Amino acid sequence: MNIIELSSGNVIPIEVLPVHESDFKSITKKRYFFNWRTEKAFEILKLIIRGEHEILGLISFERIPNECRIHIRLLTVSVENKGDHKKYDKIAGNLIAYVAKIAVMDYAELACISLTPKSALVNHYMEKYQMNITGKTLSLEVPEILHVINQYDNDEH
Amino acid sequence: MTSTKNNIDFGIDSRYRSKTEKDSESNQLMKARLKRQQNLSKEQINNARLMQLKLRMEDYLQNPAYDAKNYFTQFLKQYVDSLYSKRSNFAHDINITPNLLSKILNNYREPNQEFFYRLMIHSEKVFQHIGEFQKKLWIQVYYHEKICDTMFDQNNWRPKIEKQIKLSELTIK
Repeated sequence: MNIIELSSGNVIPIEVLPVHESDFKSITKKRYFFNWRTEKAFEILKLIIRGEHEILGLISFERIPNECRIHIRLLTVSVENKGDHKKYDKIAGNLIAYVAKIAVMDYAELACISLTPKSALVNHYMEKYQMNITGKTLSLEVPEILHVINQYDNDEH
Repeated sequence: MTSTKNNIDFGIDSRYRSKTEKDSESNQLMKARLKRQQNLSKEQINNARLMQLKLRMEDYLQNPAYDAKNYFTQFLKQYVDSLYSKRSNFAHDINITPNLLSKILNNYREPNQEFFYRLMIHSEKVFQHIGEFQKKLWIQVYYHEKICDTMFDQNNWRPKIEKQIKLSELTIK
């Protein structure tokens, strides 16, 4: 998996890893927009450049095994990667794809990831990730979930 | 439009506000998903199962399991059973006898180099339309398991082997 450095166009390899207690010192609301400490009861993953420590993005999620579904709770990029002047591209997409991989690994053809973004972002997510909409919930299922995994997980040689 | 989108696209707070909201959204979603699942083709289901296999193999390499399970043959069984109604048909397709395949799958015989060549090429062809499948993945899983088994099983082999090992020309302080 990789991200793109927008200033140079360079492709940078990344890792997605579980957040540890010691990470919370640097995960402030100012840099990551939400109070991530309230998510400790759930799984939280961080995206970093391979071999580095700086957290570029975070995602928290809840597994709902009886529905073969993973619900994304919070997702964010660091403040430097927000908006028109962001440093790297593909941070959020990689985090979504990583959770999609967990869902397919656990549930195969029944796999589903879901989220409920602000209404202003619904169309953006539907177009970018080919998500379905049901009520307020956007979901990614087979076959589209496999396309998203392939789109972001194609550089492991 | 892009600028507006970029300015709000820094994150999502997608947490349910109440149990009622969660239950209501879950029910609606489940109904819609069941309808969509009924329309999945056999090929789409198979592709998802093969993707699951690939991801589990990659996960096994990243998260070593030090236990007595036979990961390589479990993965191989899942691969063969996802694709074939009879295991003997797979044996035929990679030009080995069903008896040899059965022995490998049941851990009575180790796969040789030739078997890996054939499995590698078969997988390349199968995954061509599903997603990238690293050429080395089967061999990596096989040897990774050997390493894990060796380390896991030290209490069994070490006492006997240690007695056979000498450092006759070295002085260890």
